[in-house]
Parts: sequence; C-alpha cells; structure tokens
Amino acid sequence: MGEIMGNFRRAINNTSLSRFRFYFQAASFLLLIYGGYLALNLGDQLPTFACIFSEPRGGSCYLFGLQHQMTTPWTSYLSGRGIGLLVGFLTFIAFFIVFNKAWCGFACPLGTIQDWLTALRARFKIRYANYAEPTFQRLKKIKYILLALLILIPMAIGNSFFGLPKLNHDFGVPFCMICPGRTILPLFSGDFSQLALDLSSKSKMILTALGLMVTGIFLSGSFIKKRFFCLFCPMSAFHYIFANAALLRLSKDAGKCSRCGNCYRACDVGIRAIADDLQHKNIVKDDCMLCGKCVEMCPEEGCLQVKFLGLPIYQSTAEGFFKRMQGRNNAK
Amino acid sequence: MQSDADKRFARMQKATALHLAMEGEETLQHLTEFSDNPKAMDYFYDLFRNLYKNGHKLPTDKKVIGTMCLQVPDELIYAAGAVPMRMCSGAYAYEQVGAEFMPAKSCPVVKATTGMLHVNQALWGEAVASVVLPTTCDQKKKCGEMLKEMGYPVYILEMPSSKDSEGARFYWQESIKKFTLDLQKITGNKITSGKLQTVIADMAECSRLFRKLNDLRKSKTPLIFGKDIFLVTSAYFIDEMASWRQAVRQLIEELEVWRQNDIAITNRQAPRMLLTGSPPIFPNLKVPILVEQAGGIIVADEVCSSNRLLHDAVAYDEANLNDMAAALADRYLKPCTCPCLTPNTDRNRKLAELVKSHAVEGVIYQAFSGCLPYEMEQKQISNTLSKAGVPMLYLETDYSSEDLGQLSTRVEAFIESIKARRRKK
Ligand code: SF4
Ligand code: SF4
Ligand code: SF4
Ligand code: SF4
Ligand code: SF4
Repeated sequence: MGEIMGNFRRAINNTSLSRFRFYFQAASFLLLIYGGYLALNLGDQLPTFACIFSEPRGGSCYLFGLQHQMTTPWTSYLSGRGIGLLVGFLTFIAFFIVFNKAWCGFACPLGTIQDWLTALRARFKIRYANYAEPTFQRLKKIKYILLALLILIPMAIGNSFFGLPKLNHDFGVPFCMICPGRTILPLFSGDFSQLALDLSSKSKMILTALGLMVTGIFLSGSFIKKRFFCLFCPMSAFHYIFANAALLRLSKDAGKCSRCGNCYRACDVGIRAIADDLQHKNIVKDDCMLCGKCVEMCPEEGCLQVKFLGLPIYQSTAEGFFKRMQGRNNAK
Repeated sequence: MQSDADKRFARMQKATALHLAMEGEETLQHLTEFSDNPKAMDYFYDLFRNLYKNGHKLPTDKKVIGTMCLQVPDELIYAAGAVPMRMCSGAYAYEQVGAEFMPAKSCPVVKATTGMLHVNQALWGEAVASVVLPTTCDQKKKCGEMLKEMGYPVYILEMPSSKDSEGARFYWQESIKKFTLDLQKITGNKITSGKLQTVIADMAECSRLFRKLNDLRKSKTPLIFGKDIFLVTSAYFIDEMASWRQAVRQLIEELEVWRQNDIAITNRQAPRMLLTGSPPIFPNLKVPILVEQAGGIIVADEVCSSNRLLHDAVAYDEANLNDMAAALADRYLKPCTCPCLTPNTDRNRKLAELVKSHAVEGVIYQAFSGCLPYEMEQKQISNTLSKAGVPMLYLETDYSSEDLGQLSTRVEAFIESIKARRRKK
C-alpha cells in the first residue's frame, strides 16, 4: 500500500504542472466566460475577474458588488443591508480560502489572457522585459492604493468625508471603469459595446477614456512583461489580506534550499523572496498566483511544496526537475 | 643550433613527462590497492593510466578552450563547437615546473596549472584556442597575467566577488552574454538556441547522474569509496562527455545491484567522513586515500572538483538565447559555494545539510598551503560543524609526499577518536 502511494506521489511530482495548468486555465476560462449557456452560476462573490459586464458568464467578480455596496450611507449598514454585506463578504472569503491565490494562477480570465499573450510572444522568440528589483518593489505598492481607492471613492458617494460634498454617482464602480476585464472579457461573446466612449457626462467620458487607455496598456504590457497587470491588481491586494488563513499553501524547507534561484527565474511575477527567503515556511507572497512554476523548477528534494490542509500534494524533486528539463529539450 | 636555455627546457620537458607518468602510476596503484573495487571503475583507472603515458596529450582533436575555475559555462563552449578542458592540475611534477618561476608561497593548484601550461606550450600550441579565467581568487587572477605573458590567449571572465545582490547577478549575466558573443569570434562558429538547448540537456544529464551517484553515498551500507568518486569527477575535467556519462551510468547500475544485495565495499562500521576545502584533483588524491586507508569512508564532499562542480543544472524558462544565457549565468553563480564569494553563508548551510543527508560523523578539511581563502574560512566552518555536533580535522598540505607520515598519524588518530565517540554514545 505504502509503495503504491509512493509511486503515485512520484508520478505526480514528475508531471509537468504547467501543462496541467494550461488546460485547467482554458477550462476555467470557458466556464467563467460561457458558463451561463449551461445555466451555471457560481454566485456574485468570486475572488476572480469573472466580469459582471460579460454575458453569459458562469459567476461574477466580487469587486463590482463590493464597490456597489460601499456607496450606501453608513447609517443603513446597521439595518438588514449590513447583513447582506457581511454575507457577501464571508462568501468571498470562503471561496478564496479554499484555493488561496491559485484563483489567479488557475482561474482568473484576465490572468489566463496574460499567459496566452506571453505564450504568443515566446513563440515568436521575442525577448521579455523585466523590472529591476527596486522598481518592482515600488510598483507593487500601487495595487494597495487602488484597493483603498476602490473602497473609499464609492463611500464618498453615500457619505460625506470631512464635510466635503458627496461625489456623484458616475463614480459608483470606479475600478470597473478602468478595469481591463470590463473592456476585454465581453469581446469573447461578441459584445464590443464596452469599447465605446460614454459621452453622457464629463466624468463618464473621462473614466471610459481612461479605461480604454488601461486596456491598451494591459495588452501591450503583458505581451512583453509576464503577468504585467497582476502586479497592479487590487483583487490580488484584497486576496493577500486573507492569504494566511488559506487551506492551499506553498511552503519552503529552507535547509534544503541551495539558493540556486531557479524558482525566482521561473516566477512570472518576479518574486525574489521565493529563492532568498530562508525565514518563512509559508512562502506565499502578495504577488504570488500559486502557479507552481517555482516548484517545477526547484531541483532540491522536497524543498518547495504545495500543501492542502498541511498535506503535500505536489513537491519539488530532483527526478521531476530533470524530467521536465529533458522534456523541454525533446519538445524542441 | 640549440641554445643552452632551449636545451635546459628540453631536459625539463623530458624529466617532467617522466615524473608525471610515475606520479600518475603511483596514484593509480594506491587507488586500485583497495580490494573489490567496482568493475565499472576500470574505465576510469584506464582513462588516467593512458593520460600521461606518452606525454600529456590533449583529449581531443577539436579546438580546446581551457577553463580555470568551475564558473565557466561549459555548455557555451560545446555549443560553439569547441571542447572545454578544466586546466586546474593536481600534478606534483607540474607544480615543480611552476615553482621555478612562481612565488614559493603561491598555492599548488596555480603553480601546477601554470607549470603545466608552460611546459606543454610547444606541444599544445595552437590547439588551445583560449584559456578562460573567471575572476575568482587573487592567485588565479595573477596567474592569468602570467599566462598572457607566456603568449596564451587568456580570456578574463569578469565575475562579482559577492552574489547576493541583484546588481551582482546582472553584472555576471552581462559577462556571460558577452562571453557568448566572444566565443563565437574565438571559435568562428555560431551559437544557436537549438544547439545550446541540446548541450544544456546533455550537461543536465551529467548532473543527474552525478546526483544519483552522490545519493548512493547516503546508503547506510557503504557502497563506494570517496577516492573513486574523486577520480570520476577528475575525469569530468577532461573526458569526452558521452563516454563519461556511459561510464557513470554503468557504475551506478553496478552499485544499485550492490545496494539491493546489501554488499558493502568496506567495513560497515567505517566512520563516515566528509571532505571539504581545497580541491582534490588527480593525481593528488593523497588525503582521500589516506583517510580511506585509515579505515574511514568519505561519503560526501564540498569541493570545487566534485560536488560543487556537478550538483547543479541549468533551468531556463524560454528556449531563446537571451533567456538561456541568463539561466546559464545564474546556474554558475547563484548556488556556487566557492569561498572566494562573500558572504560564506550558503557554504555553511550546504555543509550542515550534507552532514544531515549523508549521516556524516567527521569532517576532513584540506587546505593547500598558500591558499588563503580556505585557510581563512576554516575557523568559521569548524564552528558551524561543531554546532552540528561534528568534529573537524584541519590539514594543511600540498602536492608533495613529504608530509605523508605526519598526515597519516593525524588522520588515524582522528578516525580513532570518532570511533571512540561512537562508543560513548
Ligand atoms: S470590471 Fe473588473 S472589477 Fe469590475 S466586475 Fe469586471 S472584472 Fe470585476
Ligand atoms: S492578480 Fe491577475 S490573476 Fe489575480 S485577479 Fe488580478 S488579474 Fe486576475
Ligand atoms: S529553486 Fe529550490 S533550491 Fe533553488 S533557490 Fe528556489 S527554493 Fe531554493
Ligand atoms: S512564487 Fe511560485 S507559485 Fe508564486 S507566482 Fe511565483 S512561480 Fe508561481
Ligand atoms: S582558491 Fe585556493 S586552491 Fe583554488 S586556486 Fe585559489 S588559492 Fe589555489
């Protein structure tokens, strides 16, 4: 029995997680973008960009609901509305806690699109761009600012801050207005309407223009820089607040780490700590998308492990590492 | 008309060749004296038996690129259609040549290597297309200057003296990218991404095999002597890679059978030793042989002629030259535990891990007299080891056989003390 389990483990650790991920992402994409055709609905609190503007989706992104709920005046939180808010929030956390940031690596349609663009670039043998480490450290803070804004701006619609006049309703879902999910995802079901400038008011015009600009940057940026957008994504910032409670984890046994840096090289987001952090066992950083590429590229036995409820489900092995690198050459 | 100097040089050439052959033969004699060596080791014994037989010939007819430290990416040299040959020599005969014109205090590795290149210059001549020298320790750097004076095409591969910062990493990546371009000029061949991918896979296979071999040394039943491992890795310096791999594969197969049948190469109670410090390179396997003659077995090592050389492999993400060159650079810098780099943290960590994984009971630290990086770091290493509860024996030595008596007494006493420790436990 032990031997069968051992062989099973070994077979799993020898596989290419990246290939599995590729198919899984494609399947998630289909479900989240076209799930409505199968009458599938995972609810409105998904911790991923299944955009509410895209029909017939199989579930919706929580950020829309969150922003929307923030517009209500504070006083009404004490009534039934507050309970609705709380239930929504808890549902979001429940979804998130099971899979942790794997939502980003395996499910998010915007993440998947970025990976497709990367694959396209690699096919053309065009070289990729990378940030220098200090730039990376500076840029990664932006997502927390966006998160704060997407909560505070709607609040300023239903409430007055410091006696200032309340904001107008055009700013109800400010992040959605500039989110590439809104402009790009509907395209997959033939809806081009989100690409139009909204000229009905001045603020709407500015917001939709900004949205188009971000969309352009999203497409060109993620063509040359892997997971370009994720570094700025407020959903990712929101995730990280709860990441320590998650059931799915990435853990590191520092004693076994040679600091070869393979994991850091492979990481599409560019997380240096995965190689250099020798302190923490739980190694999920705020930009991590739990894609597992680092685990695939780590040549040290059991140094990096993906664990669910403390049980290792995929871990680095020398055998797996050499198999995958050999496979890369054979696929040439 | 031959001048006196020419005559003297010719005499020295002849004497060196003679001494070299004797020295090699003697080491092989000691290596094979142990009973029941694995059959598959014969390949390596023969390889070295022939190496110095009729003068020290280069191992190939192709263009040879000499490498002076382990940080030179062999993959690039193969992809450029040339053959890398690690020049670091372990021969006393060559050290004697070097001693004629080098400071007495320089370390035996640089003396022997410079001596070898000096005495064989006429013999090897044009075939050595370049001698690539990473800027590691000061002696290697200055020895590069001397080789240049002699007329060798020396290539300085700029390397940072620290590896922790991103700045150092990028600096080294740029060095490697430049080296890639320059190699194409030196060899006249283009390095394509396809060729490089194939070579990277071949070299990864070398690492994979070495790791298998190294894993077999973890076995509670001792399966292979350290002196043989050092011969296998010394062969890696000069051998044709495909035949090296084949020979190592056979060795692994044989040892696997031993493991399944629980056949031990030596006394099962032999104290398990780790060797670290300056590199044992054929024919200077003096210390490993002494340790194993005294009843110990070297089950692990952390030296630049063995484990540090072969443990790691290149991991690229995209199969284009740009990413592969950077991946190559990382492979030769990031996990490198050479004490020329500072801080020394990774070396200490690696030793602690090896002690655990290979159930090491004692450490032999070999420092070549004149080698400051090792002489200076040994205290720190000894502290790390004593924290892990493992005693260390520090030996200062060189390539001559003068200190044999003195060394063997100390090694024997050390091994006895480990046995005594065991009894107390
Ligand atoms: S626009 Fe973006 S944030 Fe808004 S619902 Fe769509 S995916 Fe979510
Ligand atoms: S970080 Fe990337 S993958 Fe995750 S939700 Fe944001 S866009 Fe999607
Ligand atoms: S790949 Fe593994 S061994 Fe290498 S630095 Fe990363 S965690 Fe450490
Ligand atoms: S740290 Fe590992 S799992 Fe996280 S994004 Fe980077 S490669 Fe993927
Ligand atoms: S590190 Fe030591 S042994 Fe190696 S070349 Fe330098 S001085 Fe000599």
